[in-house]
Amino acid sequence: MNDFVSFAAESLPEILQALPVTLSLWALAMAGGALLGLVFAWCRVYGPKPIYLAATVYVEIFRGTPMLVQLFFIYLGLPEIGIVLDPFTAAVVAIGLNTAAYQAEYFRGAIRSIPSGQMTAARAMGMTQLQGLRWIVLPQALRRVIPQWSNEAILELKYTSIAYAIGVSEITAKAEEIGYTTFRFFEVFVLLALVYIVLTSIVAQILQFVESWTTIPGLRS
Amino acid sequence: MLLQVENVQKSYGDTEILKGVSLGLSRGQSKVIMGPSGTGKSTLLRCINHLTLPDGGRVFLDGEELTPKNINKMREVLAFVFQDFNLFTHLRAIDNVQIGPEKIRGMKKKEARDLAMHELERVGLADRAHAYPAELSGGQQQRVSIARALAMQPKVILFDEPTSALDPELTGEVISVMSQLAADGMTMLVVSHEVNFARQAADEIIFMEGGEILEQGPPSKMFVDPQHKRTRQFLDVLGHEERGS
Repeated sequence: MNDFVSFAAESLPEILQALPVTLSLWALAMAGGALLGLVFAWCRVYGPKPIYLAATVYVEIFRGTPMLVQLFFIYLGLPEIGIVLDPFTAAVVAIGLNTAAYQAEYFRGAIRSIPSGQMTAARAMGMTQLQGLRWIVLPQALRRVIPQWSNEAILELKYTSIAYAIGVSEITAKAEEIGYTTFRFFEVFVLLALVYIVLTSIVAQILQFVESWTTIPGLRS
Repeated sequence: MLLQVENVQKSYGDTEILKGVSLGLSRGQSKVIMGPSGTGKSTLLRCINHLTLPDGGRVFLDGEELTPKNINKMREVLAFVFQDFNLFTHLRAIDNVQIGPEKIRGMKKKEARDLAMHELERVGLADRAHAYPAELSGGQQQRVSIARALAMQPKVILFDEPTSALDPELTGEVISVMSQLAADGMTMLVVSHEVNFARQAADEIIFMEGGEILEQGPPSKMFVDPQHKRTRQFLDVLGHEERGS
């Protein structure tokens, strides 16, 4: 045990050196995924048929294939048609596009759960559909989506580890590197697992706080 | 005529809901549309502000025809009050009333706030301004929704069965707010079976059946000596129910 503590004291700072990479990868992918997800959700709820279909195809493709395959396609496949991305950017794009598909579905469900009479009332006052979405539907839908969105955020935080496969030096890559220099794989991966648990717990706590902070009587999630 | 409805028609598939309905309201008039359910009363109201697009016919507000191009602008001053209130769940009562003038009409926040408070006072709910819809009774919610309509400073308000989602003991507060509005000179077209409101506040009763207007006239005539047998039967039953309850 003492042995593990001294190993951890030595290795933890090294692993944490890579933390900014993991966190920025995650934050950029989640933010991009949220923006894209909202657009796709709009397409799936309000879009005319062709736009609805295009968004549906997108969602099905990205939910129906492994993220690692998507990552390899973007990093290794796209250069063949002239799109060359550095590993970090490729990972942001892959994780962002993937989470966008899931987030679109969560946003869509939340938007549909808001009674349609409220949009009708907004339109009857002279709001355009976009104004109704902006002022009436989204403020409610976004509150309702927080629990599902939290799950997605935590899932993606763990999924940033696949960026290791294309050479992004995030915390999993760092841990493996330490393993090869010390040959203490058991300890280093226990340590890495603890780091992930602490990270996901913090994120879960923050989002739970946001959820209770934005709660409104009569608007259950 | 402030509101002029000309030959409005609407069908769903083979079913003709509105067979060419025409009516008019001059400034300050209030009219009540009555008739059996499934007669097209609510559809007519929704066709008037194009929440449901009519298949044919025209609607004029203050001389200007409603078109797909100007519809949002026209709706600002052609308010609609719904049977089930449709308040915005995430907004407090005062914000429900404020959002229209502020976000649609572009009024300054402070001004819109004052206006909203004024309209809540008008419906007797100033003390509940900071409650969320879920914290209000049905009657209070409907009064907030009337205040929300008033805050747009509309030329005409359309009421679609404003009391039929309410428990009987709560209809009175809504009816008295509406009667006060009528007395203040608001132009109103009301689909409702509230005989008391019709007697007190309506300039005219319009009796609809089977997608058309069967007859119309002042309450004194319609309730006492209507021309059509159907009108008499219907209003008799309504009157009895009213006395019975």
